Amino acid sequence: MNPEVPNPNRVLVIDDSESIHKLVVARLRPEGLEVLGEVDGERGIERAIADQPDLILLDIGLPNVDGFEVCRRLKEHPATRSIPVIFLTGTADTESKVRGLDLGAVDYVTKPFDQVELRARVRAALRAKRLQDILEQQSHLDGLTGLWNRRYLDQRLESELNVARRYGRPLSVVLVDVDHFKRVNDDFGHLFGDIVLQGIAEGLRAYARRSDIVARYGGEEFAILLTDTNLRAAMYVSERLRSSAESRHFEARTEIVSVTASFGVACTEDLAAELTPEALVKAADLALYASKDSGRNCVHLYRSGELILSTGNPLALGSE
Amino acid sequence: MDPIRSVYEDDPDMLEIVREFAVELPARIAKLEAHLAAGALRDLQTLAHQLKGAGGGYGFPQITELAASLEQALKSGADAPVVKDRTRSLCELLRAVVVPEAR
Repeated sequence: MNPEVPNPNRVLVIDDSESIHKLVVARLRPEGLEVLGEVDGERGIERAIADQPDLILLDIGLPNVDGFEVCRRLKEHPATRSIPVIFLTGTADTESKVRGLDLGAVDYVTKPFDQVELRARVRAALRAKRLQDILEQQSHLDGLTGLWNRRYLDQRLESELNVARRYGRPLSVVLVDVDHFKRVNDDFGHLFGDIVLQGIAEGLRAYARRSDIVARYGGEEFAILLTDTNLRAAMYVSERLRSSAESRHFEARTEIVSVTASFGVACTEDLAAELTPEALVKAADLALYASKDSGRNCVHLYRSGELILSTGNPLALGSE
Repeated sequence: MDPIRSVYEDDPDMLEIVREFAVELPARIAKLEAHLAAGALRDLQTLAHQLKGAGGGYGFPQITELAASLEQALKSGADAPVVKDRTRSLCELLRAVVVPEAR
């Protein structure tokens, strides 16, 4: 999963009246919105968690669980917390409106609603949601390279490690360090250094798999999180990334400069220590240092305390 | 009572659902009358609430108005004759709704 453009907007309507559903569909479809519907609060919450709509139109006067309670629960659940809620209210009293807004709703529309007003309020809420999404994503992105940043990587490492532990699936980490980067900066200037980092980042993103999480870890160091990937598969990916970095050329004034990078790979399945984010990163770091020590531009694997030079050949890992 | 038509009849986005709404009205009238006869005031109130919310949206502001007055009467625990009277007025209004022709 790498930063992407969001899909067309979807609106979930939770209202016990079918007439209201049809009305909302007829009024919002011309806006190019997809409308989902549920007539019951409990089902509505489940649907919101599963389908992740961009906006929820929520009736206050729902039978069983009322709209206030549904809103409270939506705002409590991590998967639905950031989805804006607009209350649909049949009663125009101030108390209900204030209560709804205090529970975290962004707006309210009184029924029967005026179509122009409904559309305008929906548009406004979606606009705010889009900006909020962009801000959230940007706080997870590295400004120079457009890759995920270290904060995001640390968060994902923690959660992916939980998944790996719970389901017994392998998780690999690759650390990448650009070789002799200081020399590049000294010889050609920091601006050129930035161009090199951007180029290397582009290569990592292009040659990693869709499911790999590629991040700038700091300075000239990058980290890649490979879910559902064992040491052998992570080695293949790393070899591919290493050779793509090696074959990239940068133009500096009159010179053509090429750079290389060193790689360290560790996998949860081959960890001697206990499964913590720190232990996994530490193991990959040890492997990276082994690559640096043995002449750079190569990949080392951490395997149960041993550091093995990858030859790109699976036999190097013995039979598995 | 004069026939009443939806103000959205000519809106192509709306025509189909206005038709559906109008076609289903006799069933709602029957329910309103049945709840009134059975003294099922809570059910009557729910129906009134729904008609209040939907009526104007389908281009029938009069429905919203009368349904709101019935809901208000039920909410405030008005006397039986008032409830009966308002339910009947609402039903009479709903009977006057003209089903628009499909185009």
